Amino acid sequence: MIHVEQLTKTFGAQTVVNDVNFTLEPHTATALIGPNGAGKTTTLSMLTGLLSPTSGKIIMPGVTDIRKEIGFLPQYPQFYPWLTALEFTEMAAVLSGLPKKQAKKEAQRVLEFVGLAEAMHKKTATFSGGMKQRLGMAQAIVHKPKLLLLDEPVSALDPVGRREIMELLKQLQEQTTILYSTHILNDAEEMTDQVLFLRGGQLVEQGNLREVHAKYAEPRYLIEFVEQAHAQKFASAWPTAEWKNHIVRLPITEGQPTMTQLLRTLANSPYTVVKVEQEAASLEEIFMKVVER
Amino acid sequence: MNQFTILLRKEFLEAWRSFKFLWMPLLFIILGITDPLMNYYLNDILSSVGNMPEGTVIQLPDLQPADILMASTGQFQLIGLAVFAVSVAGMMSRERQNGTVTLLYVRPLSYTALFLSKFIMALFLGCLSAVAGYGASMYYTALLYGSVNAIDFMKMLGTYCLWLLFVTAVCLMFSAMLKTGAAIAISVILFPVGLLLDTMIGQFWHVSPHKLGNYGVMLLTEASPYYGKTLALTCLLALIAIIIGIVFAKRKSITTAI
Repeated sequence: MIHVEQLTKTFGAQTVVNDVNFTLEPHTATALIGPNGAGKTTTLSMLTGLLSPTSGKIIMPGVTDIRKEIGFLPQYPQFYPWLTALEFTEMAAVLSGLPKKQAKKEAQRVLEFVGLAEAMHKKTATFSGGMKQRLGMAQAIVHKPKLLLLDEPVSALDPVGRREIMELLKQLQEQTTILYSTHILNDAEEMTDQVLFLRGGQLVEQGNLREVHAKYAEPRYLIEFVEQAHAQKFASAWPTAEWKNHIVRLPITEGQPTMTQLLRTLANSPYTVVKVEQEAASLEEIFMKVVER
Repeated sequence: MNQFTILLRKEFLEAWRSFKFLWMPLLFIILGITDPLMNYYLNDILSSVGNMPEGTVIQLPDLQPADILMASTGQFQLIGLAVFAVSVAGMMSRERQNGTVTLLYVRPLSYTALFLSKFIMALFLGCLSAVAGYGASMYYTALLYGSVNAIDFMKMLGTYCLWLLFVTAVCLMFSAMLKTGAAIAISVILFPVGLLLDTMIGQFWHVSPHKLGNYGVMLLTEASPYYGKTLALTCLLALIAIIIGIVFAKRKSITTAI
């Protein structure tokens, strides 16, 4: 378990991260979400030890040197172009405290795990963006850290690369605690237990995905009509309905019909309906609501 | 110790694979053979391409082996040292600026091991180049002008390596403290330009690290009375530079690109 208490970072007069508090439970994946300049990278930098907090604490019970227990993958990992993937990962393992013999074995193991078995003896200068990201992942997990910190791990990748990294992360979630910053919210929705919304350096919302959805999802009925005029007429009967082209969205609030009642109403009406479904706001819509609040 | 060994291995691998161990000694070899050959064949060169009026007689001084080695030292100090200083001054700052060291900084890294691994590799490269350069110079000097006492030659070479130790420590210290451009600019001003200044106005003082190279060559003929003091001062300053460099290597780690 990792506790972050009242974490604050100021650069001169500017407060980049302001009184941030959260807890990461073991073997969970937490998404740190926020617009550009929200303080995501600064927060991660403090957790890695690259930056010292101006005030506040990062507590990992039972751990004296937090750097031994974290693995970090920056958004654009840079490697020594003259070293091979194996040489780099082995060096990373030794620097994290593994004995030399074990370091080589672990380096080989994680490179195979991330799918670089055939490329492990190639120089990193020859690697594509996706391969570099996988190598970045390998160096981050080679010492089996308790906390894996990832800064926008998939944002620089094409859809195929993104999928590969997301699959790797899902597997890693069973072994370690993951905290990653992202703005690709579809991916976050796929493998997140907890979300932390940062805005202007402050944590404006946090909780597990279900709680956040329940708070912001604003469930509604989506009704699609064959004719636009029918949609318009139907919407006019409901003050809270939103109408656009052939589609009407009706918020599910108190006093609104249940699905059965709605279907009955539609069945008795002269309108031809294509579909009726219940929908909720996506994480992206929730994100917009939270950051624009 | 494990950290130091693996970082040292990384430095040597990089230097080997980027051909630093080839081109730097090669540069010193070329600089080293220039003076003995040029001076020996100067008469022939002038008479064939000098476009001199017929009957011109140029009386060239009768050069001794020590004079030739002194001239070679001048070449090393001006051109060789500039190239060496530039290559060392970017060693730490460049890695911070391009972010390659970030993945090392996020680990429980020993900054002493990081600094010393770079220092030892750079010093080895400098000494290898000096040995190659002086070796080449000595070979042609012995062939064309005569030999010098082997022990004195080794002392001279050792002294020059101590001068390079100082240069390496100071350049690397600036690299740890500053951005690449600033570190290179200061190193070039401090060493090649500083040596030029020392040649021009250095008669007003006798003890300075910049004089160590020349005092080393003087061991072949008559040792300077200031040799010992200069040597001690150079070593002391090098040690101070190493300590400051290690402190700044840690302090400046926050400026690494993420």
